[in-house]
Amino acid sequence: MPFRVNHKTKTFALLVVTLVVVFIVDIFTGNAPISIRDGWNALFGTSGNAIVDEIVFNYRLPKAITAILAGAALSVAGLLMQTLFRNPLAGPDVLGVSAGAGLGVALLITLGGSTLYSAVSWLGSMAQVAAAIAGAIPVLLLILGVSSRINDSVTILVLGMIFGYVANALITILQSFADPDSLKVFVMWTFGSLSTVTWNKMPLLAILVMTGIIAVFFLQKPLNSLLLGEHYAASVGLNIKQTRRIIITITALITGTVTAFTGPIAFVGVVVPHFARALFGTVNHKIIIPATLISGSILMVTCDIISQIPVSNQTLPINAVTAVFGAPMIIWIVVKRKRL
Amino acid sequence: MQVKKSLSLLICCIFCFTINGCKKGKNNVRTAKTTLKSDESLVLSEIVPNYAKGFHIAHFNSFTRVTIYNPWAEGEIYALYNLYTNDTIALPKEGTSIKIPLTSLVVNTFAYFEFLDQLGELDKITGTSDGFRIYNPNIRAGIQEGRIADLGNPFNMNIEKTLALKPQAVLTSAYAQRDNYSDRISQAGVPVIYNLEWMENSPLARAEWIKMIAAFFDKEEMADSIFNNIECRYLSQKEKTKNIRGKHTVMTGDNFQGTWYVPGGNSFNAALFRDAGLDYYYKKDERSGSIGLDIETMLTQFGDAEYWFGCAAKSYKELAEKDPKYLLFKAVKEKHVFNNDNRTTSAGGNDYFESAIAYPDLLLCDLIKAVYPHLLPHYTFTYIKELE
Repeated sequence: MPFRVNHKTKTFALLVVTLVVVFIVDIFTGNAPISIRDGWNALFGTSGNAIVDEIVFNYRLPKAITAILAGAALSVAGLLMQTLFRNPLAGPDVLGVSAGAGLGVALLITLGGSTLYSAVSWLGSMAQVAAAIAGAIPVLLLILGVSSRINDSVTILVLGMIFGYVANALITILQSFADPDSLKVFVMWTFGSLSTVTWNKMPLLAILVMTGIIAVFFLQKPLNSLLLGEHYAASVGLNIKQTRRIIITITALITGTVTAFTGPIAFVGVVVPHFARALFGTVNHKIIIPATLISGSILMVTCDIISQIPVSNQTLPINAVTAVFGAPMIIWIVVKRKRL
Repeated sequence: MQVKKSLSLLICCIFCFTINGCKKGKNNVRTAKTTLKSDESLVLSEIVPNYAKGFHIAHFNSFTRVTIYNPWAEGEIYALYNLYTNDTIALPKEGTSIKIPLTSLVVNTFAYFEFLDQLGELDKITGTSDGFRIYNPNIRAGIQEGRIADLGNPFNMNIEKTLALKPQAVLTSAYAQRDNYSDRISQAGVPVIYNLEWMENSPLARAEWIKMIAAFFDKEEMADSIFNNIECRYLSQKEKTKNIRGKHTVMTGDNFQGTWYVPGGNSFNAALFRDAGLDYYYKKDERSGSIGLDIETMLTQFGDAEYWFGCAAKSYKELAEKDPKYLLFKAVKEKHVFNNDNRTTSAGGNDYFESAIAYPDLLLCDLIKAVYPHLLPHYTFTYIKELE
């Protein structure tokens, strides 16, 4: 037993060190050639060059912090969904909330000149975030409404996915009527981007995401009970309906917020919880929650570094990088351990 | 209940922490030294475009104000620029202040290469997007020689590389929704000049945007004279088709995944067809954007159209291989189909998407020559080409 605790502590320490390393690498690498000394000076004062200061402090730093927040948030949201629905394929998007956020953005972009556009245009660059949140909230309310009437998690999962399909279908209809330029703007949004979060948007992202993440820590025991089945959880005194509502609300808050700020980012939320379970060899949420948070951040920051690799002078879409470069890493780990 | 109480407390704590703990960004956006109201009564002269609806230029005693209107919200301003030459003067608080004439510029819209060329300012471009897809030989040479940086996809330009170029401004197409790139660049203190010429619905209106960009180089008189010349040439060509009887019918666009996008009656293309003496099915339609039609509707409405412009194929053989249904159109049967590929590069550059905006007269001549060749016996096609 003492060895196992020690082993887990070591693994945690290794994850934290890895996160710090990739975070530093992320800040000191990019398309603009900036020396480590200039980068350091820009971070902790001034490099004497306004452009270098701007790139390092106002572009790379918030991008790296967003990667940490988004990676941790989506991964833990995926964990919540996998535990609630006891389904290894569940991810943050199964509730349809990210599709709802996408619908909000699609409405804003494709219906330029509409009432919606006039209502939010004064928000400037926050308009897209507001539209995404406005699109995510009705889906959340629908899911909560359903969960108060239906006492079966699988049915809620299926309905959540159906809401997602409907939202995506509406997006497709909007796209079919959109002019090519609006279409391209929307398609670019679906690629996901960590660089959209500027310092002035960061507090809102951080408040909402951190609220959700810290709330998850209070759910360790109920989540562990749910692992043994809802009947067992009920028999040990857990209020299933209330717990389900809290889990759904937290997942929707986290997923909706991240999607609103960065656009949809797939893959991370489904795979990282499996990675964390494989790495620590346990399903205990006391261990898996922090492990998922740190692993998710590491994966997202690493993907951000990879997305900077110059390919025809542009950054790769983060949504593609997470799957294309993250999948082999995870497959290798899973195959090596012969199980999830 | 315990969980609920703890959660509420937690939310309060995080909120307080984040509000106090967040570090302010080192934003270096230029702000005017003093505030001055741009009182309309102080306007010395102004340029009210004859055709374009999207911009307005007003000259004050010590600066020029360029206003870009929002085409998606009537009466609203999309962007406001205060152009000044003297550092010591006071500028209005509202709007973006830019010192002119510009000496370096990143251009994220191919359509402006020709305007800048006409104004003799092409050498001010230090960066552009999609370098491989450019037709303009001077820009291509600049990229090859390293004078002009290629900043990647126009919808996802490389932000770090743009900032490293230190351009005086970035010229980009505007959309209903502001994009991340423009937000980032302007936040870093590089003014973004938005252009919305693509929302104009007539060839002359689009060409008139040369006056807007000329203001940033202090060359408004030159732009005025260039535009007057083009307007004169365009109107004289239009005049030739005025008395044509028995106008030929026309169709345009192409089929994409089962949907055929054709221009609305209030669009740029519809105006061009009208001026070329062509009869277009949607001429009385009110829409300025595209109309998506299926192939059945296309065959019903355009099956008898005599000419087809803007086809995506290179040859009749390719057209037949893509979909045999194309052969049902009269324009295909009579071999009156044209694409826009007369000036292209092997990498996909096409001058139709670059210089045509500045030469609406040539666009018009192309159509007239294709349909009524007797009106322009010595003219050869500039942008369009008959399918092989």
